[in-house]
Amino acid sequence: MIRVEHLTKRYGATTAIEDVSFEVPKGQVVGFLGPNGAGKSTTMRILTGSLGATEGRATVDGRDVFTDAREVKRRIGYLPEVPPLYPNMVVRDYVAFAGQLKGVKDPVAAAERAIARVGLAQVGHRIIEHLSKGYRQRVGLAQALVHDPEVLILDEPNSGLDPAQRVEIRDLLHDLVEDKRTIILSTHVLADIEAICRRVIIINKGRIVAEDDIERLGGEQRTVTVAVARGGDAALAAMRAVEGVSAVVDEGEGRLRLTTDGDRREHVANAAAPFGLLELSGRARLEEIYLRLTMGATP
Amino acid sequence: MRNILAIARRELSAYFATPVGWLALSAFLLITGFFFAALVSLYSMQSAEQAFSPYGAPDMNLNEYLVAPFFGNTAIILLFIVPALTMRLFAEDRKTRALELLLTSPITTTEIVLGKFVGAMGFIAVMLACTLHYVGVLFYLGDPDVGVVASSYLAMFLLSGAFVSVGLVTSSFTENQVVSLVLGFGMLLLLWVLGWAESASTGLTAEVLGFASLINRMEDLTKGLIHTRDVAYYLSFISFFLFATHQRVEAFRWS
Repeated sequence: MIRVEHLTKRYGATTAIEDVSFEVPKGQVVGFLGPNGAGKSTTMRILTGSLGATEGRATVDGRDVFTDAREVKRRIGYLPEVPPLYPNMVVRDYVAFAGQLKGVKDPVAAAERAIARVGLAQVGHRIIEHLSKGYRQRVGLAQALVHDPEVLILDEPNSGLDPAQRVEIRDLLHDLVEDKRTIILSTHVLADIEAICRRVIIINKGRIVAEDDIERLGGEQRTVTVAVARGGDAALAAMRAVEGVSAVVDEGEGRLRLTTDGDRREHVANAAAPFGLLELSGRARLEEIYLRLTMGATP
Repeated sequence: MRNILAIARRELSAYFATPVGWLALSAFLLITGFFFAALVSLYSMQSAEQAFSPYGAPDMNLNEYLVAPFFGNTAIILLFIVPALTMRLFAEDRKTRALELLLTSPITTTEIVLGKFVGAMGFIAVMLACTLHYVGVLFYLGDPDVGVVASSYLAMFLLSGAFVSVGLVTSSFTENQVVSLVLGFGMLLLLWVLGWAESASTGLTAEVLGFASLINRMEDLTKGLIHTRDVAYYLSFISFFLFATHQRVEAFRWS
């Protein structure tokens, strides 16, 4: 459905993305990850036709995003990091206006559907600038959905939201996944990616550093951190003796960081219990992969 | 066309959704109303004086003594008000990031530019339409020439078109509406005073300055003389600045 081939974007001497290539099959939900400034938004903007590329090619449903931009834009719903809203407009009018621009036959009816879809029916009559940030984000989503696009490109839909609003948007994204659309989702909330996407593309310093299923990317190596009341050499030795532990680092004050082969948390907990186990945490899988790929090594 | 009208409608309604539109409309009507009342009063005073003059009444007519100066004043008021109307057209969209909605919709850059132009012109049409009651008073009390009045309105509309096209391009260069306003007004004022510089110049310089001046092209139109060259001048002027805006908006895709 989406094919990106050797895409490069330079701003003068600065290279935003270089030789970026990936594919997203129809109906797949893909997490697009990377640190700030890695090139996620640039790639997304190129795909949506709001930015040109210096080199390379990108197609959506077989249509070139540069030469057949109009057709590509008809197929894409895009929510940028800052929702493209007209603050003085009423929600309903704004979404209908977006529908008109996207060539919907009955924009008013389409706007009502999109508004209902994102749970905005209660505030459809209100002026956008009077809405909370969470609701504005929903208006942005309604705008992206109004023409019922086959592809959704969402750039950090939950940035700047409070925890309750984040949960609302995450639930909404869960619902959207059910629609069987092709979705590229960029967010810094890795838990959301793990919950929603099976596959991730990780970009760092303008280059793709990983593109695969989360399961396959992780390999077998995990990190487990334990905190014990009575640390020291004995505790260190006990941890080293646990089956599957390949390295132990003493971080001081009874905190030990273990590198394990597979999920060994239960064994580690048993071994740490005699030393007064206070805390045990296995870092989320995706977070570990992400940090390894974007920071060079697990800190 | 559908997309142009959709954008134009949104721009037009945006003027009425914010105080800027209402303030501009009120200020325009207040000042044009003041000038109209002052001109009517002056005209009645002069015509009364002339009637009792021992040298006989000269050829005073409404068109020359009232209609032409009224539209001359209206043009100056537009020079001040139009930049305030156009300052937000692109600057606001860039600041709020709403421009991204336009750039990622299946519409062309030409449609975006024309939509905004038509929207602003729609508001100016409303403003000018609100002055029709002044003209109605003239027709009720006197006998102004319909042709002169009609061509004067055409002149106002073409001149406003030129102002809006300059305002559009200056608005596309910044996210700051105040900067957009100052740039737009500065450019228009410069083009306006070129006509004054013409009288202080000679030869080719005078010809070039006279040609570039926005004001010179209006004089004949407010006298009821519609020359193709004047209309073509304004249309070319508008086209040039709309094209410049188009190129600027296209450049957003590369920055």
